[in-house]
Amino acid sequence: MNKMILSRLAAGLFAGASLLASTAAFAGEVTVWCWDPNFNVAIMKEAAARYTAKHPETTFNIVDFAKADVEQKLQTGLSSGTTDALPDIVLIEDYGAQKYLQSFPGAFAELSSKIDFSGFAPYKVELMTLDGAVYGMPFDSGVTGLYYRKDYLEQAGFKPEDMQDLTWDRFIEIGKEVEAKTGKKMLGLDINDAGFIRILMQSAGGWYFDKDGNLSIADNAALKAALETTQKILQANVHKPSAGWTEWVNAFTSGDVATVTTGVWITGTVKAQADQSGKWGVAPIPKLSIEGAGHASNLGGSSWYVTANSAEKDEAIDFLNEVYAKDVDFYQKILADRGAVGSLLAARTGAAYSEADAFFGGEKVWQNFSDWLAKVPAVNYGVFTNEVDTAVTAHLPSLGQGANVDEVLKAIDSQAQGQIQ
Amino acid sequence: MASGKTGGLKRYHDLNGWLFIAPSVALIGVFLVYPIFRSLYLSFFSGKGMMMKFAGFGNVVRLWNDPVFIQALTNTVTFFVVQVPIMILLALMLAAVLNNEKLKFIGFFRTAIFLPCVASLVAYSVLFKSMFSVDGVVNQALMAIGLIGSPIGWLTEPFWAKVLVILAITWRWTGYNMIFYLAALQNIDKSIYEAAKIDGVPAWARFFYITVPMLKPVILFTTIISTIGTIQLFDEVYNLTEGKGGPANSTITLSLYIYNLTFRFMPSFGYAATISYVIVIMVALFSFLQFYAARDRS
Repeated sequence: MNKMILSRLAAGLFAGASLLASTAAFAGEVTVWCWDPNFNVAIMKEAAARYTAKHPETTFNIVDFAKADVEQKLQTGLSSGTTDALPDIVLIEDYGAQKYLQSFPGAFAELSSKIDFSGFAPYKVELMTLDGAVYGMPFDSGVTGLYYRKDYLEQAGFKPEDMQDLTWDRFIEIGKEVEAKTGKKMLGLDINDAGFIRILMQSAGGWYFDKDGNLSIADNAALKAALETTQKILQANVHKPSAGWTEWVNAFTSGDVATVTTGVWITGTVKAQADQSGKWGVAPIPKLSIEGAGHASNLGGSSWYVTANSAEKDEAIDFLNEVYAKDVDFYQKILADRGAVGSLLAARTGAAYSEADAFFGGEKVWQNFSDWLAKVPAVNYGVFTNEVDTAVTAHLPSLGQGANVDEVLKAIDSQAQGQIQ
Repeated sequence: MASGKTGGLKRYHDLNGWLFIAPSVALIGVFLVYPIFRSLYLSFFSGKGMMMKFAGFGNVVRLWNDPVFIQALTNTVTFFVVQVPIMILLALMLAAVLNNEKLKFIGFFRTAIFLPCVASLVAYSVLFKSMFSVDGVVNQALMAIGLIGSPIGWLTEPFWAKVLVILAITWRWTGYNMIFYLAALQNIDKSIYEAAKIDGVPAWARFFYITVPMLKPVILFTTIISTIGTIQLFDEVYNLTEGKGGPANSTITLSLYIYNLTFRFMPSFGYAATISYVIVIMVALFSFLQFYAARDRS
């Protein structure tokens, strides 16, 4: 059973070595690591094409890995100190940004002096700032929306107006109606993924950590409300359980569930089902019934980082600056093609943002998303989001079996305390 | 004079000998001995990523207060205690059955049972995952024959997830162990069985009093190999649960936890190294116990 790990290591070593060879042979080649061929990779290729049009001497090598593989290779490269094997630009999910910046000081190039960050959404810039210096190029936002099947809801007697300004309690009631009338579940829920809890928690301005990054679980009203809501959903049985990302995605692409609550980056996947065109609508996510709760939240989103020891460091920074910090037209293109909502504020004045989308029955979905983006509560993601996430998912099944939420919070707290040292 | 001569010859042979093994000694030193000592050294440090400082036995203390570690240890031991005996017995029985020359299609059965262990670990995990999903073929088949009323959450309920992992590794490794027994069975002298038959020993007694004792060294070997494999269990749980060991940490193993501590969480290399030494100690301990239990009593 161990041979697999060995052979993987060996494959990694070879990949690293060949990468090194190719960078040495072609001076001026910028290597980029990112995940998701329909989203980040495609967008980076578009950005590269725009840059090479003006700077023909620069070439790009955009490498497509799974997200976990990018993170593992990056973490291995950084901790072994063999920076030669690392790319020039790497994509990092926002939740992990501070983890890398704090545990590998000096590994990423400081960009504060080279790029004007005042034009970006402040919450994005803040999460990549360490001791007053900014280390990344803000990229996409994970502003959330409630995607719903208009046809299913209509069968159950609900119009698009009924989907606006919901509370989660109302959402569950609607879910029961939908199941009674159409036989479809209201949403897919992955019991191994705390993403849904994080959306709910952040919509009420909460996170696993307080503003100073200290663990905040036991007295966290937003987390408590998020867990209570999840418990109600699990007990009302209006969800379709799924194990893992693929099954979760399959639940809505196959038409098994009536709604999806997630980040705007899912738009590309939703729209990939061409036969479902006109059947989908987007509403603001339902609200938690506690003080300070709103309809705007965030899930995921990532940013580009330049490695400090990269041979093509200056070229890479110039590239990011020219396209991602200045090219408003680029942001229109990636929005229209990929559904990517960037965090460059100026991009929102562009034409693509005010256009109606035929797939969503002519709704001006992008205008809505950019309105909600402005309302996303800023929270401190801290450095231990993955750890606490594990603690939360570990206790989701007991929630479904009716465990007391305060007890669950205590249990999560004690597990998280053990994890973060 | 003579002694000086042989001394020279001895030195010549020594030097040549060392030269011959020097490359492998160097490789073993760099890739085996150094990492072992380096990880022992690492286990005395703690901190975030590269920002490590000396912590003495801090990591060992952390083990006791870490519910996820306790869970991973419990799961690993559960997998080992439940799965290894089932698999060894199953392999032994299959080998005894398939050693019967009168059985038809014997080559087909041997191949079919051995085949899973040639399958790629990742491929079969992905296959199991799809077969055992909520609306996968297994649930549909069980419902069709009326064994269950509603689908089993093989991957979403803690108990069933453990069952699934045990099923998966048993399916994968039973044939592998069976091959060892089949090979060893060929070496048992047929005249012993004939003598037993003439004495009127029934088939079950021939199995327990002749086959099993004669296979003892091989059984010991396979048990130790399986123990080590199960204690280091990683691939199956990683692929079945997308690296999370869920639901509710019910399938997290020590190796998976080490992986998460190194690659998914804030990297704590020191703590991960400490847990890897827990695995070393466990393997050593269990192997010793098995040797002790199977020793020749004279």
